[in-house]
Amino acid sequence: MATENTAWALEDFVDSLVVELDKTRETLAVKAINKPLSYTVKEVALDLNIFPTYDGDQVTFVTAQPGQEGASKVSIQLGSITDQQVRATSKTPGAKDDINLDEIDLDKGTKKKLRKLGVNSVDDLKQIEQKNIDIKKVSDNSIDYTQLANQIRKTKRDQSPPKVRAVSLSRGEDDRPYLVIEGENLAVDPKFPPVAVINQTLAEVMSSSDKRVKIQLTRDHDFSHQNELVLTFDPFAVVKVNVKA
Amino acid sequence: MIDEAFMPFREIVERMLAFENEFVDEEAGVHTYVYECEIESPVELDVARDEEGTLHIGSTPPLYYERTSFLPSFHRLRFTAEINRGDDGD
Repeated sequence: MATENTAWALEDFVDSLVVELDKTRETLAVKAINKPLSYTVKEVALDLNIFPTYDGDQVTFVTAQPGQEGASKVSIQLGSITDQQVRATSKTPGAKDDINLDEIDLDKGTKKKLRKLGVNSVDDLKQIEQKNIDIKKVSDNSIDYTQLANQIRKTKRDQSPPKVRAVSLSRGEDDRPYLVIEGENLAVDPKFPPVAVINQTLAEVMSSSDKRVKIQLTRDHDFSHQNELVLTFDPFAVVKVNVKA
Repeated sequence: MIDEAFMPFREIVERMLAFENEFVDEEAGVHTYVYECEIESPVELDVARDEEGTLHIGSTPPLYYERTSFLPSFHRLRFTAEINRGDDGD
């Protein structure tokens, strides 16, 4: 007989059931090539005897085993659905750069509250913002929007961190020296002008873009053979480079 | 993994549909076939999770018909199948 049954979430069970039924349809479609009078499964219903449990976070089910009485009944019905219906009832798949809630470093409680509001990704959150809904109000002030926005920005930044490819020394038309930092994803957020510190002295950032940053050098920087350059591109991207002259 | 007495859920559906559905009487010149069937059956289930966390649904028709002190839990499977008529509407 079967061993101890595993607890499952309804979503997982239905997913597995759909996979099984898809395979059935594939097998029957192949069979239909040589045997024209083959069947297609139209509708499937399963009445399950289960024991539900709630761990304070999620409801899971265990299918009743031999000898177990008093189980609850769950009926799952899967019908045929047209492509049009799928489009009408499904969410548009997330964009390439969409971030799932699981990827964001948020506490469990906030994630749970967001999921209850139907927010599973950053795109979902944007949709709510676009409709002028105050997430703080709808969550009874339990979701700190500023903290949430910062965590999202941090996660996004972590996915495209700054990469310094080269540092060179040049002179401007006024013969004053400056450093050129080249790379990728450098100053990507126009709201945050980069801050540069050379040998522990603040330096003026002459220009900045995602690929290039120019920093003015003065005598105060004590630029010598070994130098330390710390560049803060935004609150989530700080780079420290040792520059040899 | 799924208990060896059970088979993947898809197989139970496939096997239930693997019957001769065409009846030909050459003498009378009558050709009959089952164009739709609805099957309802008690089934036993074994739901197991593999190492990757994927859920597998094992199923079997009732294994024992004698009443014993331990009765298996019979779940109920119902499905409708119709003849695959193909694109030409045959």
